[in-house]
Amino acid sequence: MHPLEPYLHQAAAVTRRHFLGRFGLGLGAMALQSLVPPAKANAATEENPLAPKVPLLPVKAKHVIYLHMAGGPSQVDLFDYKPALARYDGKPCPEEYLKGQRFAFLRGVPKVLASPFKWAQHGDSGTWMSQLWEHLPQRLGDLAMVRSLTTEQINHAPAQRLLHTGSQLLGGASLGSWAAYGLGTENQNLPAFIVLTSGGQAPDAGVSLWSNGFLPGVYQGVCCRSDGEPIMYLPNPPGLDRTGRRETLDALRTLNQMQAQSVNDPETVTRIAQYELAFRMQMSVPEATDLSKEPQHVLDLYGAQPGKSGPGKDATDPAFANNCLLARRLVERGVRFVQLYDWGWDHHGFNDENQIHKALPVKVRQIDRALSGLITDLKQRGLLESTLVLWGGEFGRTPMLQKDEKNPFLGRDHQPTAFTMLLAGGGVKSGIVYGETDDFGCRAVNNPVTIHDLQALILTQLGLDPFKLLYRTEGLDQRLIGVEGRASVPRGLLA
Amino acid sequence: MADLRGVSLGFVWSTAAAAIVLLTIVAPVANAGSVQFNRDVRPILKEHCFRCHGPDASARKSDLRLDERDGATQPARSGDIAVAPGKPDQSELIVRITSADKDDMMPPEKSGQRLSSAEVETLRKWVLEGAPYEKHWAFEKPLNPAIPAVKDLGWPRQPFDFLVLADLEKTGLAPSPAADRTTLLRRISLDLTGVPPSAEEAAAFLHDGTPGAYERLVDRLLGAPAFGENWARVWLDLARYADSRGYQPDRRRDMWRYRDWVIAALNADMPFDQFTKEQLAGDLLPRPTEAQLIATAFHRNSMLNEEAGIDPEEFRAEAVRDRVETTFEVWMGLTMGCAKCHSHKYDPISQKEYYQIYAFFNQTADTAGNGDAPTLSSPLLEDPIHAKKAVAAGIQSLRRTTETPIMRELPVNQRRESHLFKRGNFRDPGEVVEPEVPAAFPPFPEDAPKNRLGLAEWLCSRENPLTARVQVNRVWARLFGRGLVETEEDFGTQGTPPDHPELLDYLAVGLMDGGWSLKRLIRTIVLSATYQQSSRISPELLERDPQNRLLARGPRFRLEAEMIRDQALAASGLLSPKMYGPPVMPYQPPGMLTKPYDRAGWETSPGEDRHRRAIYTLLKRTIPYPELTIFDGQGRESCVIRRIRTNTPLQALEALDDPVFVECAQALARKMEAAAEQGVEARIATGFHAVLLRDPFPAEIEALKELYRKRLDAFQHNPAAAAAFATDPLGPLPAKANAAELAALTAVANVLLNLDEFLTKN
Repeated sequence: MHPLEPYLHQAAAVTRRHFLGRFGLGLGAMALQSLVPPAKANAATEENPLAPKVPLLPVKAKHVIYLHMAGGPSQVDLFDYKPALARYDGKPCPEEYLKGQRFAFLRGVPKVLASPFKWAQHGDSGTWMSQLWEHLPQRLGDLAMVRSLTTEQINHAPAQRLLHTGSQLLGGASLGSWAAYGLGTENQNLPAFIVLTSGGQAPDAGVSLWSNGFLPGVYQGVCCRSDGEPIMYLPNPPGLDRTGRRETLDALRTLNQMQAQSVNDPETVTRIAQYELAFRMQMSVPEATDLSKEPQHVLDLYGAQPGKSGPGKDATDPAFANNCLLARRLVERGVRFVQLYDWGWDHHGFNDENQIHKALPVKVRQIDRALSGLITDLKQRGLLESTLVLWGGEFGRTPMLQKDEKNPFLGRDHQPTAFTMLLAGGGVKSGIVYGETDDFGCRAVNNPVTIHDLQALILTQLGLDPFKLLYRTEGLDQRLIGVEGRASVPRGLLA
Repeated sequence: MADLRGVSLGFVWSTAAAAIVLLTIVAPVANAGSVQFNRDVRPILKEHCFRCHGPDASARKSDLRLDERDGATQPARSGDIAVAPGKPDQSELIVRITSADKDDMMPPEKSGQRLSSAEVETLRKWVLEGAPYEKHWAFEKPLNPAIPAVKDLGWPRQPFDFLVLADLEKTGLAPSPAADRTTLLRRISLDLTGVPPSAEEAAAFLHDGTPGAYERLVDRLLGAPAFGENWARVWLDLARYADSRGYQPDRRRDMWRYRDWVIAALNADMPFDQFTKEQLAGDLLPRPTEAQLIATAFHRNSMLNEEAGIDPEEFRAEAVRDRVETTFEVWMGLTMGCAKCHSHKYDPISQKEYYQIYAFFNQTADTAGNGDAPTLSSPLLEDPIHAKKAVAAGIQSLRRTTETPIMRELPVNQRRESHLFKRGNFRDPGEVVEPEVPAAFPPFPEDAPKNRLGLAEWLCSRENPLTARVQVNRVWARLFGRGLVETEEDFGTQGTPPDHPELLDYLAVGLMDGGWSLKRLIRTIVLSATYQQSSRISPELLERDPQNRLLARGPRFRLEAEMIRDQALAASGLLSPKMYGPPVMPYQPPGMLTKPYDRAGWETSPGEDRHRRAIYTLLKRTIPYPELTIFDGQGRESCVIRRIRTNTPLQALEALDDPVFVECAQALARKMEAAAEQGVEARIATGFHAVLLRDPFPAEIEALKELYRKRLDAFQHNPAAAAAFATDPLGPLPAKANAAELAALTAVANVLLNLDEFLTKN
């Protein structure tokens, strides 16, 4: 390897210094570029940090739609069938499944909780799925079901951060930011990295999940509102037309460029870029986010209801379905990375309605049709090949019951040592089950996939070498997969 | 003038240069040459050893732990001793890290890690010096550091500048030059009052060439009523202040007298220990005043669940926990949330200790099933929102009192028994607990009552290692954009260590020695050379220290959400100086307040009330004001220790198109038009002075003139657009005004109010 090779990505993606150095030329070129079709924009790679870039590896996925279920869905009630649990239901958990395990809440010897749901086999492979799923089994042939995910973190916010930024601590750069940094984006009129939330609440770790961290600010995720208009204040004020807005922004840019040259602050450079993006979003966002333009059969495919979102607790809440449909529309328009967060998967049995047998069916009903519809729709449009879809939480749930004599509610604790994720499209093998857990679903015993492995896979499919995609800051080569760079791409998942 | 408490301490709150020089000469360099465990040794062990020889028993190899002295110095079964104090050559630790034998070397060969020779030398020296361990830095009492010697004696203006400069000189960086006066004027005005100075105030300072002009400016700003409004903003994030009860119904409640109390207390420079006692336990003070009772609303800001079918006791317990966690986060910088269900994994707080603190807060009369009671009833002088509604409904008799929720201790015969809740479940009470503070911290004062008042005294005792540090760090973070401890919310073992531990301790000791005066603390900081540096980022600094940890330049970061609004209103002349009173409703997009249960809705306040400072804007937790959240404010459902700054296109849309900012642009345009009869250049200069206090550069005038010409031409051809852009929403044009000219100037003003320089503290 050439000693400088790891830095090629960084050089290609334009360092802050480089960007600032070419400043006078750069932003003019960037503004111009907003007016030319993306194909030509390649020429401006050096100046526009978001211009599309040709990565060093073959590109399997041009886009990512990541559906994160905040709270940690229960794999032993959804995807990882464990008949042994039924035999031990209500009995103390055998020691072998507790040894060395960490729990957030469980103490002593907890009892086993069999899945309260019925299970059935599907497809030629006879893959087991819980019968909570009505629509998804028809999509099994398009999915890779990975049953052997593991994480190091046991609480929500750190586990979410490890998954989405590569580090449980604050300050890391998000997956979507890395993708935008490494690849730029095809549509300069929309943000490269868009975040959508549903379920009535943002994920525990909040904005740190879509932060650019140490990367330049233009790579941070743009989070849309979950209620009403996704982006506020798009229209110009009364009396100011688009020409007028352009003229004000030209003057603003000129003055801000002088400021940037004088104070040398990367934040100023970012702000200039964000104002230009805002201008382009005024045109592109209303069109991209108008779900009412979709024909009824497409709305039905997802269960989407434009303009409606419930309080998050109701099985008919269409917020997640609307976001899935919106995600497809955004990817179709060239957005690099669409991140969905759906709140409400933390089923400890804290109270009556949070019990696993009550709350989980509600959540599955909110997402089953939409998730299946998204995959169907992408496939029908020929987008699935080039779009990597991921579904999963920040950890799994214990097969043990989190309950005792005085607490009547059924629930499960956090489990970092084994959980299930679904992958589809983007050059991932379809119709397979990958990895295996022990008889209780406690530990990954075959083909374990760590969080850094998963991140390495996502980057690889995007054409980015997870070991060489780095950003040097304060004397450290930062990588998504951690400074130490310990990860291995699970090759068995690649088509 | 100089307050020299103990000559060798080196703690001076004045700027007496002579004293500083004296101290520099007499003060010995702290622990010259000796190794300090937390500073020098712990990072090496953490990096190379703790993964296999640390606190996690399940990952531990060879049954050896190096994070505790007992473990490290105990002979192993083999008879080897990892750390033999005073005897590096007999210490297996030193032998292994220097070994070339592949079977013996540590870290193991396959890890690929080797210690550098400097690291080996540090460890050897540490063992030689007896291998002393230290507690986590933040759990040791802060001590006044010695003032180090520096080369550039001309630079420091405050004693702590020596600490900053000594560190800089070690790294070979020089401090930045002092900021120019205009920049400094704007910086200090925004930092102290949250608003820019008026034109007269600005001119007074900029033309004051006499010595001490800056000190006088600082003192005037510290005395301005706007000081309290600005710093209350900081405190209200911590107090999770809102005008609604939270949870799904999120009905309104009258907390605003508490907000007013905070503003008044900060303006009066109430000592921080008193400020603490009144808020945590004002009702337990002897013969509490009405104001002291209002202060206790601090902990009535907890959310109140009014959903149907809930168990009120469950949510009373939830409120008590919120009070426990808020108290420890705000004063001690410790995250307690995890200890409610299990003992803390990282910090020395057991689950039992969590509930012992809970017991302090478990004796108040409020319940979740009884609305706001108990409250303090006060006469209502004016409530524009209610008045308007009452008039609209034809109701003549207005509400004449406001009911502020307060804390009241239950009578002795109604005291609750406090229990540990197993796994955090309030339905599963465990052992009975009594009020007590965690054992890892200094003991509860012997003569203090075992109630909230005693707890407040304990928090502010000289022995408490955290309270002063946490508060000093918070003030520093608001001024410099980043705390000396970056994780303001976590001073525990999982937080980041301080960038400048001695500076932090110097200021913390100073806060306590200075009678807990926050104004004195702020004055000390802003009079420093460190604070007064230019914020320009040299290419070298951008490369070496993008976060400005070394403090080689002044602070530069985007203004807080509230400042962005207030500054725009002030620059355009719209800002209402009216202080205090019930919350108001400025413009917001239609359809924002449409949640169930919310019959009140959002009616834009009339007259000057829609131009009040942001601190008076109605904050409804489930639908916080959009301008606030777009610029990183929060709904304050619980305590917000720090806001994470973002820089997004949504902020651009907000500041360009929100009617609040459009109205400001229109008002600024009228100001520009009225102030200068002659020529567009003079008008542009007037606008520049209004927003940035400085003259525009020729290139800046040119760009804005070009915009003006183009827009004037367009608006002259489209009178309807001109009228709309110049008047909606501000209102009809002044007499004899030219709509096209004003509309074109509005476009110029719209640019001025969106300048990076305007949105940023420079």
